[in-house]
Amino acid sequence: MRVLVVEDESDLLVSLVKALREEGYAVDMAADGEEGLFKARSWDYDAIVLDVMLPRLDGWELLRRLRQSKSTPVLMLTARDAARDRVRGLDTGADDYVVKPFDLHELFARLRALIRRAAGRPRNVIDVGQVALDIGPRRVTRAGQPVALTAREYALFEFLAVHRGSVVTRNALYEHLFDEDEDSLSNLLDVHVSNLRKKLGPEVIVTRRGQGYCIE
Amino acid sequence: MNAFRSIRWRLQSWHGVMLALALAGFGYTAWQLEWENQLRRIDQELEERVSAVAGATLAVQDRPAEDRSPREAPEQDERRPASPPPGQFRREERPAPDDPQPRRPPQEPPSQLQGRAGSPPGPRSDARLPAREMRFFEGLSGQAFYYVVWGPDGAEHTRSTSAPPSVPRPERTAALRGSRWRGTIRERFHLAPEGGVLVGRDADKDLAAVRRFASLLAVTGGAACLLGLGGGWWVSTRALRPIADISATAARIASGDLTQRIRTADTSSELGALAGVLNDTFARLHASFTRQAQFTADASHELRTPVAVVLTHTQNALARDRTADEYRESLAACQRAAQRMRGLTESLLTLARIDSGGLAEARVTCDLAQIAHGAIDLLRPLAEAEKVTLILQLSPVRCQAHIGQLEQVVTNLVSNAIHYDRAGGSVRIRTAAEPGFAVLSVQDTGEGIAPGDLPHVFERFYRADKARARSAGRAGLGLAITRAIVDAHRGTIQVVSAPGAGSTFTVRLPAGADHHA
Repeated sequence: MRVLVVEDESDLLVSLVKALREEGYAVDMAADGEEGLFKARSWDYDAIVLDVMLPRLDGWELLRRLRQSKSTPVLMLTARDAARDRVRGLDTGADDYVVKPFDLHELFARLRALIRRAAGRPRNVIDVGQVALDIGPRRVTRAGQPVALTAREYALFEFLAVHRGSVVTRNALYEHLFDEDEDSLSNLLDVHVSNLRKKLGPEVIVTRRGQGYCIE
Repeated sequence: MNAFRSIRWRLQSWHGVMLALALAGFGYTAWQLEWENQLRRIDQELEERVSAVAGATLAVQDRPAEDRSPREAPEQDERRPASPPPGQFRREERPAPDDPQPRRPPQEPPSQLQGRAGSPPGPRSDARLPAREMRFFEGLSGQAFYYVVWGPDGAEHTRSTSAPPSVPRPERTAALRGSRWRGTIRERFHLAPEGGVLVGRDADKDLAAVRRFASLLAVTGGAACLLGLGGGWWVSTRALRPIADISATAARIASGDLTQRIRTADTSSELGALAGVLNDTFARLHASFTRQAQFTADASHELRTPVAVVLTHTQNALARDRTADEYRESLAACQRAAQRMRGLTESLLTLARIDSGGLAEARVTCDLAQIAHGAIDLLRPLAEAEKVTLILQLSPVRCQAHIGQLEQVVTNLVSNAIHYDRAGGSVRIRTAAEPGFAVLSVQDTGEGIAPGDLPHVFERFYRADKARARSAGRAGLGLAITRAIVDAHRGTIQVVSAPGAGSTFTVRLPAGADHHA
């Protein structure tokens, strides 16, 4: 999953990005509204964490302009907690609203729920045959036994599982699993898929030649 | 509501009392005039008759014969050979050329006069009244005049048949002519040494007419009074209706809805003006409440971000084992956040102290240039870091100020100028004396302030460029504090700015009392 964090308070931005990366997200960052809007339009993020008080282009305006072309899930992050502000945020097209100061775990949980809902998954647990994925605790089991995955493997499996039933192109996988700073090699993806097949069973991930991967 | 009712009732009762008094005064005067008019008319009728009778009777008795006119000598048979029989009176008087005869109905039978004027106590008395005088006493069935004539000895000499049985002779007082009431009978008399004449008639019909007039006045007056009271009630209801509106609106405002306003359709009336004044007050109150709420929201907003930094960094750091560098980085971020919060709380406290007027005391006469110098020296490292040149033109000038606060004014303005100046620019600080003022001006060569932002730069938490301001840990309170201090010193602060060329802040403080304080 790839998210964009738009936040002008650099200390907050740094710690948010770091925490999200440790959660397995590929994270891009933007320190002002214009940069944020540019990135949000350029990539199909799985979610955007958006501060309201931004220089150059505030969060409301960014959201309004973004909504003209994209429906990326947006979680507003703001210090304003008046009901009026929350209503305005949701009405402008935000999908959720977190008030500063926030608890990181709550932020992560809301982000997960946001991404899950955007993919049309009402539940946190996705079953693929004998394999079960629980998005909340980021846990994968095979026949009831927990399977140890690396962060990247987990991210790949989660993305395919969330978009279960549809073919995910290699390009899309690159876009959603690696952030702008990572110089990924194309064969890395095949390595991760191969490792996942070893751990979860060869039939879990199907390769569609010339198109991409799919969990059926 | 009670007070409103009482005003209305008071208005109404005053109005009622005034109206009743005015109507009563008017009615009484009208009645009085009517009564006097009636009385004068009665007295005039009586006077005509009494003069005639007196002329006819008293003159005969006393005046020399040659002075008597033929008409006035009823007793002289040789001048008036025979007193005509009663029946003849009528024939004689009818053709009288000067007879207006308004009071005698023509259809009245002659016998009636004869019966009245010619019956006992004796035809003699009637016979002695000539026709001209006689006609006064005839034909007036409704207004039966009578006469009584007394001789010099006071004994009754003659009387008309219509006279009541006993008519006492009027007492001789100073007046020889006079009028009197006996019950409803009005009498007028002439008294002379040679005798007295009295003519009277029953005035009960006239009195009744006056009474009718009085009751008519009372009824119309009462009706007018009721009408006036009703009108007054209507007028006072209308006049006081805006007060009800005002109090209802004020009650709604008192219960917390500060957006309520009094409807003022008619702004020209006194109540409209009052409503306007109240609306202005409510608007100011609302604005002040809104500002206060905004200030609190801004302050909490400014505190929330550093708290969020501390929370995310600590949660992140504690989530798993970290390297020493990572811990150091997190601690440094927390420190920066804490320092920002400290700066903010100090600013808020300063503002609160200024707002509560706690800085009024402890003012001394001091040298503005010296204080500016001290404050600027502390800012030199900042200026060097920002590659800004400080140009000082400080001429000594005395002012009356709180030294610590004055230092803060200089620090705020100069650090602000350094912050917003371009790299390689300069900040020019001047102190000078103007008549009555010590002047401090701080001029930078930065981007200047956009005209749209200029009116707001002294507002609390207002920042034209939020990114730059926040990255330097500024909350947007510096200029607000500066202005609050200057205001507390009864000084002024102004800013002029040309976008692209820089801004100049000018502070004027009241000059110090003398030079050797």
